[in-house]
Amino acid sequence: MKTTIALLIVLLVLGGCRRGPELVPEVVALKTDNLPASPGDSAWDRAPEHVARLLLQDLVEPRQMKATTQEVRVRALSDGAQVVFRLSWADDDLSDAPGPGKMVDACAVQIPAKLSAEPPAPQMGDDDGLVQVTYWRADWQAAVNGRGDSIKDLYPNAVVDHYPFDAQSLEKGSDAQKEMARRYAPARALGNLRAGPREKPVEDLIANGPGTLSPGPSLDSAGSGQHTRQGWAVQISRKLPEGLGGSERTQIAFAVWQGSEQESGARKMRTGWIPFVVRTAP
Amino acid sequence: MARVYNWQLGREMSYWYPESRPKRQFAAVFDTNKCIACQTCTLACKTTWTSGKGQEYMLWNNVETKPYGSYPLAYDLKLLEMLNSQQWEGEKYTGQTVFESAPAGERVLGWRPEQQDYAYPNVGEDDCANQVDTGALMKLPHMSWFFYLARICNHCSYPACLSSCPRGSIYKRQEDGIVLVDQNRCRGYQECVKGCPYKKVFFNPMTGTSEKCIACYPKIEQGIQPQCFVNCIGKIRLAGYISRPEQARADNPIDYLVHIKKVALPLFPQYGLEPNIYYIPPIHVPDNFNRQLFGPRATEAVKTYRNAFNDRDLAGLLCLFGSTERMVTRFTRQGDVITGIEDSGAAAVRIPMNEPVHIRPAQDPRNQLVRINCP
Repeated sequence: MKTTIALLIVLLVLGGCRRGPELVPEVVALKTDNLPASPGDSAWDRAPEHVARLLLQDLVEPRQMKATTQEVRVRALSDGAQVVFRLSWADDDLSDAPGPGKMVDACAVQIPAKLSAEPPAPQMGDDDGLVQVTYWRADWQAAVNGRGDSIKDLYPNAVVDHYPFDAQSLEKGSDAQKEMARRYAPARALGNLRAGPREKPVEDLIANGPGTLSPGPSLDSAGSGQHTRQGWAVQISRKLPEGLGGSERTQIAFAVWQGSEQESGARKMRTGWIPFVVRTAP
Repeated sequence: MARVYNWQLGREMSYWYPESRPKRQFAAVFDTNKCIACQTCTLACKTTWTSGKGQEYMLWNNVETKPYGSYPLAYDLKLLEMLNSQQWEGEKYTGQTVFESAPAGERVLGWRPEQQDYAYPNVGEDDCANQVDTGALMKLPHMSWFFYLARICNHCSYPACLSSCPRGSIYKRQEDGIVLVDQNRCRGYQECVKGCPYKKVFFNPMTGTSEKCIACYPKIEQGIQPQCFVNCIGKIRLAGYISRPEQARADNPIDYLVHIKKVALPLFPQYGLEPNIYYIPPIHVPDNFNRQLFGPRATEAVKTYRNAFNDRDLAGLLCLFGSTERMVTRFTRQGDVITGIEDSGAAAVRIPMNEPVHIRPAQDPRNQLVRINCP
């Protein structure tokens, strides 16, 4: 028994002395051959970490008036074609179910569309400078993780008598039935990409100023988020910005939304531009 | 913010965008005195537009019993409380609108209902304003009252939903002033839900976008009144177009009721949105309650309505309500016949103001029988 306790103490002490990630003043994507598969992947252990202080969105109404999430910790890895980010922030209140008055947790990575010495405005770009945004949402993650596309999946006690597209005359799962269901979901019928159903928890967007966010060309993005009592750890991958990889550097910015704080759209915590480089592992 | 003119307030006010009036403005008059809360309008709308996934709780049209009914819960009381003093000097509003009282960092003074607020669509249904004492029903006038308030989107001239949206996903159609959410552009921030004082924008959790009453624009484009109008059992509704006060035409039914007779009034004009659904106030409700809902003209409107029997044009026009599914943009009266005329100039309907009365004698001379009225 005494031996076991002593062993536990040794393990705890050693664990406490374990070195954390290298802290860096800019976002560094370390070159690697094997990109991580999830935010919990051990490949992240050797990636340097940048602690980005989050600021209020204070440019346009509605503004973020209350400071909520204080910081986002960012690590990055790249294989030369893709770059993968791991964002983590404190949020003990999981918000992954949308609803009236219910916002969801989310985060985003923003990079200028072109490498330039003069980056566009850090808050969503400007008329002269387009930004690319890769956006991840907790409700999309829940959908990808298996949550169904029905009201009962969001509200288990909901009772629905009948939907017109469930009429007996329509064969279940048939094209005719699917087409009719789409007509009863206006945003889906119009092809609004954010309207689901989701196949991945991220979307590629572009913007050239506040209020201009719109679907952008594919960046081969992917994402994966895990929530614990400590908060979120989210992995977002996308194409490495064109021209980046050698001695060049660009800028990068991040945003975090806490659903429990009613954050959505312009109501967000965000960073300014942070230098972003790709570096070979020592 | 820009300075715009709001004729319902009798003054200029601040608004997020400069004044830009549509070519014509869809408008309607609802006669609260005729509503029986049968909810046929609610069902007509529901089955037409909101029977999809995520729309289960949406009521683009609802009928609530006032004073206690509301959908979502206390949508009116919460904002009235936030807006503080709402003073009028004569017909000029000297209080602040939801735009003028927007807190720092906000575009509009508003609040966002929680899920539970949508759980009681029939709260307060048929509840009287006061306790009914024993024997009170035998006395006149009844001191207890309630009335039914049918509500749809007001397709406001200064929509708070539109000004709340930070990405311009809501627009007002130039051709008819109908306010729509662009379902392709909306990203479901729910700012419009928060901003609309009438809470007539709803968030769809399945598509992640916000949706609202579209005034059945595919029907209006064909000169037909919306579903909730043509299905109204009580014939309380009349759809048309409203002009600005200085351009009011006496032969335009909506202009006549709103601008000329001033018998139909906007709902909560003090919010400052210049809503375009106008209500003939209930005639049996305390004056101060009517004035809070419909503004300072409510007292006079009740008097005018009570006197409609002696006003042939007004009485005739009230007969046009619910008499045709076509949009009537002009009316004329010849003797006791009122004619509703469409945009094309064609008569949509002719209504006798007094229906012929046949008196059947109690005695049937041929069969030598006394008729009785019961089967």
